[in-house]
Amino acid sequence: MNSVSSTIRELLVKSEAAHGSWDAFRYKVKQKDAEGKKSVSVASKTYTELKEDSERFSAALESLGESKSHIAILGTTSYEWIVAYMGVVNGGGVAVPLDAQLPAQELCELLNRAEVTTLIFDVSMVQTAEKARKLCPGLKHVIAMNDDSTPEGALSFRKLVGEQEPGFAYTPLPEELATIMFTSGTTGKSKGVMLSHRNLAENATCLDMKIQEGTVILSVLPIHHAYCLSMDILKALSLGSVICINDSLIRVAKNMKLFEPNMILMVPLMIETLARKLEEAAWMPAALVKAKVFGKQFHTICSGGAYLNPAYIQTFKKYGITILQGYGMTECSPVISTNLSWENKEGSVGKLMPNCEAKTVDEELWVRGSSVMQGYYHMPQETADTLEDGWLKTGDLGYVDEDGFVFLTGRKKNLIITPNGENISPEEIENKLGGNRLVQEVLVRDSDGVIEAEIFPDYEYAGKKKIKDMQGELQKIIDEYNKNAPLYKRIFKLKIREVEFEKNTTKKIKRF
Amino acid sequence: MFDKLADIIVNYVEVDREDIKPESRFMEDLGFTSFDFMSMLGEIEDELDIEIVQEEAADIRTVQEAVDYLEKIS
Repeated sequence: MNSVSSTIRELLVKSEAAHGSWDAFRYKVKQKDAEGKKSVSVASKTYTELKEDSERFSAALESLGESKSHIAILGTTSYEWIVAYMGVVNGGGVAVPLDAQLPAQELCELLNRAEVTTLIFDVSMVQTAEKARKLCPGLKHVIAMNDDSTPEGALSFRKLVGEQEPGFAYTPLPEELATIMFTSGTTGKSKGVMLSHRNLAENATCLDMKIQEGTVILSVLPIHHAYCLSMDILKALSLGSVICINDSLIRVAKNMKLFEPNMILMVPLMIETLARKLEEAAWMPAALVKAKVFGKQFHTICSGGAYLNPAYIQTFKKYGITILQGYGMTECSPVISTNLSWENKEGSVGKLMPNCEAKTVDEELWVRGSSVMQGYYHMPQETADTLEDGWLKTGDLGYVDEDGFVFLTGRKKNLIITPNGENISPEEIENKLGGNRLVQEVLVRDSDGVIEAEIFPDYEYAGKKKIKDMQGELQKIIDEYNKNAPLYKRIFKLKIREVEFEKNTTKKIKRF
Repeated sequence: MFDKLADIIVNYVEVDREDIKPESRFMEDLGFTSFDFMSMLGEIEDELDIEIVQEEAADIRTVQEAVDYLEKIS
């Protein structure tokens, strides 16, 4: 039974009332016995525990005078992460989920730009937290989560939660700002997408996907992404699902055996890898292969974040697995359209969500509805460029057919979307490389799924410096850049130009 | 360790066993995607009964670097 919620608080309260003693989360716990032998067991938390722990955390934030503040959460998916998120947004604050892969310097810049006053961090990120305390003057508190030992100067998440009683009474309004999520910006500066309670809660609950209560979902995507937060967590919680936390991308296969999920949200990169595994075992009976790779109980993959070749949908169908391809962007909380098993069209990225309307303006797809963001945080120009009378300019070229199905035909913006759904602004990388004296002009693009930099070197400078091995010198620059870049932003191909790039009338390099 | 690793690599990417060299780079030369690489590390964990830290492994670029890392933690 599907019921639309307009705040994240309403979503949690309703679901707890219906599924209180059911498992909301399952996750791995590692132990060591007296002889040092390691073992792994599965722990769980119920819907009631989630609701009460998050209320305790809301109360803890209030006791710190931080209930209406901007609170950053830094770390990979964990029960504590979700409790922190729910505690912040349902207590009247604004959560700022951050990408743990980003370099510390960049994270500090985002903390300052989002005016964060409290940072909640996974203890593996302790060095970043230390740096933030020095570089972020607005930061008043740092809270360490998910470990028994709390680093010096930090507050303990467990202690804060343990000191409070459940039942924090606050009712957020649908239009209240709930979350600022950073997304790649075309000028090289990432943009803070402002999403309200209504934006997120209605995106997660407005469509009845006919998913049964108690469906077991393995959450493998990074939680600071809107797709994971909205679908893996908020939608799953609204449906009474069991969310199993994947502790590392290294262990997806192992965790599928451990948790026996029915459903996983994935990005195309993962689907492609799994498809190869299926093909390798194609000589075996399909049911046996499915049981070996996914488990007998597995039936659905939701794909989003980037374009998926429709051929994979057919490959998986042979094994009794349905792939539901969707489309969205952070600015739309994020889902705009999705295919359903009983309602789909080949070549389409799915039917528009019930809370969304669309039109095509100069070939570009514009969407409007209750999931469209409030704007970019402290970026009025970028907001004005992207929103017009409530319409969100998606930057994608496409149209909606007479049955409400979305078809995409290309991209307007210079955004590289990697197969794992990360959005990268080429300008951001170009600016970094262009700061080097040897690089006169540079263009960064996607080349067969990896990032390529094409460089026109400053040959005059190279002559003066007597540089003979141009390839080697430029590779050094790339290696230096890669050292500090997260994996998905690294450059894996280098092309050197003999002549400068062709320019348009405004002297900008022609990209295509 | 190199031979063991090379045996596993050929199950993930289409490359001849003899073309795998210590200096081969996983993504640029052998055609790994980041998720292929992660999945392979998961298999190695089971094969060698070790625990790999994803963040540390993210810096591995060549087969030799992987061999060095695995020998260090084995």
